[in-house]
Amino acid sequence: MQLTIIKPSVLSTIQDMGRWAYLSQAVPVSGPMDSLSARLANIALGNTEEAPVIEFTYGAAGFKVDTPAVIAYAGEGAILKFGNQLLPANRPIFIPVDSIISLQNSSRGSRTYLAIVGGFDVPTVLNSYSTYLPAQIGGVNGRALQTGDVLTSKENLTALNKVLINSLSGEHIAYPNWSVSKSAMGLQNTNVIRVMAGPETSWFDSSSVDRMLTSGFILSQQSNRMGYRLKGPVIERINTSELLSTAVTMGTIQVSGNGELILLMADCQTTGGYPRIAQVASVDLPLCGQLKPGDQIFFKQISQAEAEMLYIEREQNLQKLAATLHARFL
Amino acid sequence: MQTLREYFPQLIVYPLNEKAITLQFGNTISANLLTQVTTVNQLILENPFPGLVTTVPAYSTLTVYYNPLKVYQSDLDGLYCFQKVSNCILSLNIPNSQKKITAQPPVIIPVCYGGEFGPDLEEVAAMHKLSVEAVIDIHSTAIYTVYMLGFVPGFAYLGGMDKTLASPRKATPRASVPAGSVGIAGEQTGVYPLQTPGGWQIIGRTPLSMFDATRTQPSLLKAGDRVQFEHISAREFKNYQAT
Repeated sequence: MQLTIIKPSVLSTIQDMGRWAYLSQAVPVSGPMDSLSARLANIALGNTEEAPVIEFTYGAAGFKVDTPAVIAYAGEGAILKFGNQLLPANRPIFIPVDSIISLQNSSRGSRTYLAIVGGFDVPTVLNSYSTYLPAQIGGVNGRALQTGDVLTSKENLTALNKVLINSLSGEHIAYPNWSVSKSAMGLQNTNVIRVMAGPETSWFDSSSVDRMLTSGFILSQQSNRMGYRLKGPVIERINTSELLSTAVTMGTIQVSGNGELILLMADCQTTGGYPRIAQVASVDLPLCGQLKPGDQIFFKQISQAEAEMLYIEREQNLQKLAATLHARFL
Repeated sequence: MQTLREYFPQLIVYPLNEKAITLQFGNTISANLLTQVTTVNQLILENPFPGLVTTVPAYSTLTVYYNPLKVYQSDLDGLYCFQKVSNCILSLNIPNSQKKITAQPPVIIPVCYGGEFGPDLEEVAAMHKLSVEAVIDIHSTAIYTVYMLGFVPGFAYLGGMDKTLASPRKATPRASVPAGSVGIAGEQTGVYPLQTPGGWQIIGRTPLSMFDATRTQPSLLKAGDRVQFEHISAREFKNYQAT
């Protein structure tokens, strides 16, 4: 299967579940900003977890299907349309040859994930398909997608891929009446982000920590795949020691020299030297990945044990979802 | 034989998130801590527990990433993943006869100092009332140690610069510093692996690729390596690039 990018969005890149093997050489993880949506798009098609997808940032994008194709999309950045026909998210969709599909901006979020049966066929770089622009590695020649890029799907298909292709293929756009939805994963659209205490929380004045947990913070324009600068009350330090550079990860909330919060995201550095006041619970990172400049968020503290239980529950739900589809069709 | 817990009674262990645990050996930059972090890193990588993903050594910490679902489903001792992983790591046995780390010869990094490659060399020399030659001599005589990698792919934090060369960062960072640029910031020196914005005083450039995704080990340097800079001419620089 093959498609051609007619118009890329502000930023469109190929991503998989991340480049984990070279962190000790300071190569960032990368991967989707909203990994839950990326995974749901793959699950809806019966793809493997590793299948590379396209991450579109906002809409105003489009592609042409050069061969009959079965795709799925998930996320909050855009709605897919064929002419005036809305294409539903979170389920496999058969698209006939030569159809032009557009991505129309959605106000609900910022990122949309497009999966194709088998996954997009790009080479692995350092054990991952993910695009990391600063080092120009992964995806399509280490760069963002451009008009005219031709993307094909891998030929190695799963049994479920084949069943879905056979059941949907025809002359017209076709999709089933079931879907794999985010709400079934226990994730509500909310602006309350759950966090755990960070390793350096005690470096901050307790009233500052209280303010962080009670005030709203607004995503600034200086926000990208590496991280978000958050505007809100200034966070004051009582311990002014220098933190020796140490590991940071997606969801780490650092406090910069001027008391501003920085929320690290998918392309963040492997290590950092700003004190870490909090850490976003992994289950809520997909919410963060859908934020856009101007959005307001609040933080709510939970314990490490609670965050871990929520994580295990989410992973088990995703496994069950994939197993349910297999049981239904195979 | 002693366990990690017995061997490092001062060790602090904390969760980074649900997928990573950090072991903190101290909070200074020292050769002793570098050895401890390197030794324990090797021990964990040679005795992987179920669900181990990767490790990130830093100055005084070692962070261990894991797959929580695999750890949860494993029979490691503990209620939560954090406990399971920390119990497992802390009960690893430190071998009595620790492998003697034989000092490898330093990695030689050729550098063309000054001129278009090192636009701040004269400023740095003037700052310290030294000749340009003296700065080059001091910088290329020392043997440096790679303490950790971070910041961008392949960036090595080097220790061991002669303090007479310590220089403040540039008041206004450059929008773009070419890959291979050798810089000084405070008491640190280092090489930019990628073209990035940067505020370091740039005194030279190496023709070597500090990071190349097509190599088996993409980063030229790794934690624990020793490094020496070798003064080369602009012509030798061009020859290096040609080969």
